[in-house]
Amino acid sequence: MADKEATIYIVDVGSSMGKKCNGRQESNLDWAMNYVWEKITSTMALDRKTVTCGVIGLRTDATVNEMEMEESFQHISVFQEINQILLPDLKALRRKIKLSRTDEGDAISAIVIAISMITKYCKKLKYKRKIVLVTDALGSMDADDSSEITKKIASDNMELVVIGIDFDDAEYGFKEEDKDPVKAHNEAVLRNLVNDCDGVSGTMQQAIDEMGVPRLKSTRPVASYKGQLTLGNPVEYNSAMCIDVERYPRTMIRAPPSASQYIQRSDLISPSSSATLLSGDGDAAMAGSDPNGLTSVRNTRSYQVKDDEAPGGKRDVDREELAKGYAYGSTAVPIAESEWNVTKLETQAGLEIIGFIPWNRYERYMHMSVSCVTIPQKTNNKAIMGFSSLVHALFELESYAVARLVAKAERDPLLILLAPSIESDYECLLDVQLPFAEDLRLYRFPPLDRVLTVSGKVTTQHRTIPTEALNSAMSDYVDRMDLSTFGKDEEGKPAEYMKIQDTYSAVLHRIDQAVRWRAVHPNEPIPPPFDILVKYSNPPEELVKKAKRRLEKLAAAADVKKVPPKVNSRKRARAEATPISGLDIDALLGPARKVPKTVDPEDPILSFQKLLDSTEGSDGIRESAESLANIVEKHVSDSFGGNLYGRAIEELRVMREEMIEVEEPGVYNTILRKLKEKLLKGELGGERKDFWYEVRKNRLGLVDKKSSERSDVSEERAREFNAFR
Amino acid sequence: MADDRWRRDSEGGDEEEEEVVDETAYKTAKDAVLFVIEVSRSMLTPPPPSDSKKIDNDSPTSASLKCAYALMQQRIISNPTDMMGVLLYGTEESKFQGDERGSTSYPHCYLLTDLQIPDAKDVKALKTLVENEEESKQLLVPTNASVPMSDLLFCANQIFTTKAPNFSSRRLFIVTDNDNPHESNSRLKSSAIVRAKDLYDLGVVIELFPISRPDQDFDRAIFFDDIIYNAAPLDPAAPAPLATASAPSAAKDGVTILSSLLSSINSRAVARRALFSNLPLEIGPGFKISVKGYILLKRQEPKRSCYVYLKGSKPEIAAGVTTQMADDTAREVEKVEIKRAYKFGGEQIAFTKEEIAALRNFGDPGIRIIGFKPISMLPVWANLKPATFIYPSEDDYVGSTRVFSALQQKLLRDQKMGLAWFVARKNAAPQIAVILPGAEKTDDKDMQVMPPGMWVAPLPFADDVRQNPETPLIRAPEQLIDLMREVVQQLQLPRAEYDPSKYPNPALQWHYRILQAMALGEDIPDMPEDKTVPKYRQIDKVWLRLKSRMFPGARLSLHTLQRAGPYIMDWGRALEAHISVWEQENQSAATTALTKRSIAADTDIPGRDAKRAKTVDLDDVMSDEAMKKSFDRNEIGKLTMPVMKAWLQSKGLTSSGKKADLVDRLENWFEKK
Repeated sequence: MADKEATIYIVDVGSSMGKKCNGRQESNLDWAMNYVWEKITSTMALDRKTVTCGVIGLRTDATVNEMEMEESFQHISVFQEINQILLPDLKALRRKIKLSRTDEGDAISAIVIAISMITKYCKKLKYKRKIVLVTDALGSMDADDSSEITKKIASDNMELVVIGIDFDDAEYGFKEEDKDPVKAHNEAVLRNLVNDCDGVSGTMQQAIDEMGVPRLKSTRPVASYKGQLTLGNPVEYNSAMCIDVERYPRTMIRAPPSASQYIQRSDLISPSSSATLLSGDGDAAMAGSDPNGLTSVRNTRSYQVKDDEAPGGKRDVDREELAKGYAYGSTAVPIAESEWNVTKLETQAGLEIIGFIPWNRYERYMHMSVSCVTIPQKTNNKAIMGFSSLVHALFELESYAVARLVAKAERDPLLILLAPSIESDYECLLDVQLPFAEDLRLYRFPPLDRVLTVSGKVTTQHRTIPTEALNSAMSDYVDRMDLSTFGKDEEGKPAEYMKIQDTYSAVLHRIDQAVRWRAVHPNEPIPPPFDILVKYSNPPEELVKKAKRRLEKLAAAADVKKVPPKVNSRKRARAEATPISGLDIDALLGPARKVPKTVDPEDPILSFQKLLDSTEGSDGIRESAESLANIVEKHVSDSFGGNLYGRAIEELRVMREEMIEVEEPGVYNTILRKLKEKLLKGELGGERKDFWYEVRKNRLGLVDKKSSERSDVSEERAREFNAFR
Repeated sequence: MADDRWRRDSEGGDEEEEEVVDETAYKTAKDAVLFVIEVSRSMLTPPPPSDSKKIDNDSPTSASLKCAYALMQQRIISNPTDMMGVLLYGTEESKFQGDERGSTSYPHCYLLTDLQIPDAKDVKALKTLVENEEESKQLLVPTNASVPMSDLLFCANQIFTTKAPNFSSRRLFIVTDNDNPHESNSRLKSSAIVRAKDLYDLGVVIELFPISRPDQDFDRAIFFDDIIYNAAPLDPAAPAPLATASAPSAAKDGVTILSSLLSSINSRAVARRALFSNLPLEIGPGFKISVKGYILLKRQEPKRSCYVYLKGSKPEIAAGVTTQMADDTAREVEKVEIKRAYKFGGEQIAFTKEEIAALRNFGDPGIRIIGFKPISMLPVWANLKPATFIYPSEDDYVGSTRVFSALQQKLLRDQKMGLAWFVARKNAAPQIAVILPGAEKTDDKDMQVMPPGMWVAPLPFADDVRQNPETPLIRAPEQLIDLMREVVQQLQLPRAEYDPSKYPNPALQWHYRILQAMALGEDIPDMPEDKTVPKYRQIDKVWLRLKSRMFPGARLSLHTLQRAGPYIMDWGRALEAHISVWEQENQSAATTALTKRSIAADTDIPGRDAKRAKTVDLDDVMSDEAMKKSFDRNEIGKLTMPVMKAWLQSKGLTSSGKKADLVDRLENWFEKK
């Protein structure tokens, strides 16, 4: 379990916070709240009960706190008691945090109240305690009893953070000119207090700047394997090596949060509410537990088997009537519940080395998975030293170990590649999974550095093979675009650019940002993504500028030409095809080759194509297509269940492609409209909704303007047409 | 399968939630293979006996049938939705779809297995024919009449059009030893040529697997070059095939026809569908070429379990249908009604469809190179999933191939890699990826075993990186490392490389072996050899050799090490000795209670017990010897649960269950030994 947390935000809302300083467009309060909302919403995003927040208003008009009777605690209001903040709380806070008309209220007193609240809430339990004060330091402060505060903060292990509006910060490099003497004094008081408590103080600008940097979630490591690393079989041979080890994840994909599906609650559906899904403000919260009026979508699963007598050829069956099983080819193999494990390979946990390979004999692209790290058992000195000898031996020989891993008994075995890693005070083995024989699909591709001609000759001079000039231009360009020293380290020395630790998952943080933004600002558009998320979407400008000449040279040597979209058609050159021998088939057939008059039901596709090849003019094309359409309809009508749908679909597909090719999309669209009408009316052998489903699945809908310029159907219209109604 | 179909739709239709759609298009590219085998006197004649030790001396026809059987089994595992059929020609008997025996739609063509997703019956029929001599003798009777090739090709045409009308890949495999079927009849030859052209127009690819007769080589030029075309015409996403045709198979040099045929067929495997087509690869601002992406590496899992309906005439797979319902009224929901919302602060934060699409949109699909780095800068752990293979395509940019080739060769030469911003599809989450060059690799027969191209491997983001767990370090002394080096050097894998083809997935193979046995109603088979299990004997030999080669007391001057005895020094003993020295030297306040205990245990042992196994277990685990003793005396039941649990855990066995289970497990362990 991660640590429990209790954080109090003290927000200064005194009237001086309404000023706009240093050329900013928003008031100091609004500016500061960017930071506070960011902090609070990111806490909320954790969705954990034990991560709690409280909010105190400083220099408020009213006084609401446990010591409100005492004079020095006036104009301090507790806006939010310590708790897990939920959306209604957030909305309440948005209403409460407003500029006051007073400048009365002591920041030090607010800290005292915060300490007291935390102490009461956390008691002696293990909590991370934190107080964050956001202020412009223009109120009056009485710091006489600060030593008491310091002591309490230290003894309870609290962290005090002060973020000041336009505070001077030498480290960050900010100094406010013509500073108000009161502010200068208060700043010094607060800084001293923070220093005494070993806390953090900073200027707001820096806090705002750093908002865009995504926070990394730390995860407690959970071992994926605890057991022995063996070389040899300790049961059969006492020569075998065994080392107790533990294996932990090293990389793990952190997926973006997934959205759930909702629909409008049915009791709220009324003509007036159809347009806006989002309730304008927190007021709608009164409508029920969910102010958005949404209800979740549930998936229910039913099961069907073929039944020739049932309408549509399918019949629903009860889940209870079904056994679990597997498909072997098209045969169903039921397996009784008690025998469910019969196909499972029996295994025992273990990490067994099967052999070693040198680094340079391994291709990096064989990596199959996320990586893990293996270390020796932490309290076992012998294991640690033994493990170290293996790591060093591998490192010195520049070798990897290949091992068979069964993480737990009865799990499937995996083969992994273990690589040694040695740092100044850390040694471990890093691993990734390797492919099995079945995981590698060996497809052949022609070589890239030579051409094999049909006659069996090998040549290195061909339009697909780079010339000497192209090779050298490419080489120059690649060298110039080197990133290995393009970045800068903290001392400004050349360093690697685009390191893994500098790259952030764009979608993950973008959605996170948008959700939190919308929670606070329900009615405003979402701001653009933070720069850091798209920083590496383009090569750095400076480098591009430096490499400009070389890129021009490369482009000239490459002489790449974009293919105009018109020519890029799926259509094959039917007439040009010749067999390997190069035999001219048309000549062989001569003019004697029969041209069919209509589409032959026995061989519809080929005869349709031959018919098309021999016709000219729109009428002939339309007639050919209609002739094929009749066969499509016949196949649908005669189809028993769906047994002839495949043929009908293929015929439609060919018709659609040919009509696009001969620029008669209208012919296809008319035929398809007629077909759909007949399907709807049940004229093609009854209920044929599932055939229309096949049409959609195979993307055989209306030809729209995007697919063919001659079409008069918009993309929108084509999409609507897909619905079966 | 219908089940898949619905699932695909619900995923594919959702453009804004791309998540799992990745490989659907790839999967739907189904393949139908019709295996055509000639039956003739020469095809039924076994090759002359050779002095090779191989026992099987199959006739070409029976080798082809075995090959078809092997292919069918293989495809059920790797391509469970693909179709396959087997057609014999030249048989005395004839059989076609729906025909009874003796019918004459296609005389002397015998459709052994109709083109479909094979079921248990098909597998069994083929298996029987392969294994049962009586059966095969009865069927494999050559006719005296000649079968015109045009009839055969038209027969294949009919089979493809009716059974696999909309398959994107349809292939006709012909196995024959007759290179001149229409020697004297040019009319028959012409009509075969026309039928072949029809097949080509339909997108059916003919693959010829010729067999050389003992006395004469197979000459393609006589007839087959006129009926075979060079490209897969219908699927623009398939790569151009290699120009080389399958070499004729023959039984010679100790290679059987069967193995030679199998390797020819495997070598004709081509990527049927690209994962992405004509994706721009932007090498520099404004300078683009186009590439296609293929999945060459992918974890092959057993097909998901399904539900089977048992009350029909035979077991039948029930197709699952998902309907979406509103939670409040249980009313069926239309897709357009559905909104997306994120849970936040206990409630939902809703977005419109357009907003969600905009949030996910980080630009058009493409691979944009940001720059280059040496491959040595890529940490070995920086990986998330298998890389995608990319190969140039001329479809969008003419000249792509030569530019791609220049880049690949440069990266190979200098061992550099590209860094890229990678958006694989519309709305796909952008990734940072490395582009690694891949050199072409061939085996000793000059057959390509790894294609030339480049690989796009997504890198982890900072968010995906976990920190190393903390652990103390005790660096091993030189002597110990030297010993281990010897072992590492002597236990290299064959050819000093990891060759995936040598390691079938044992769990996957077992799963399908059992399923096949159940489907065919056979006995549960024996466990096949698991190639992933280490070669224990060989490892033991290396350890022993190492031990005997150790020179007495070499390089070890420490007092304890000498005491350990000069003649039996090996890694395990050296470790024991070194660790006790280390512990003496480091016996400060910092030493944990646990290490103290282990020292005590070490010093308790009087002299050196030569039998002691070199385990480095926690000391509170009972020793193997003690456990063995308990076992021998049949006293395991007297041990306490924690003792048994600790021991089981130390052996990587499950330690859960009741006492009786643990006792069972322990006894089993020793019995197996």
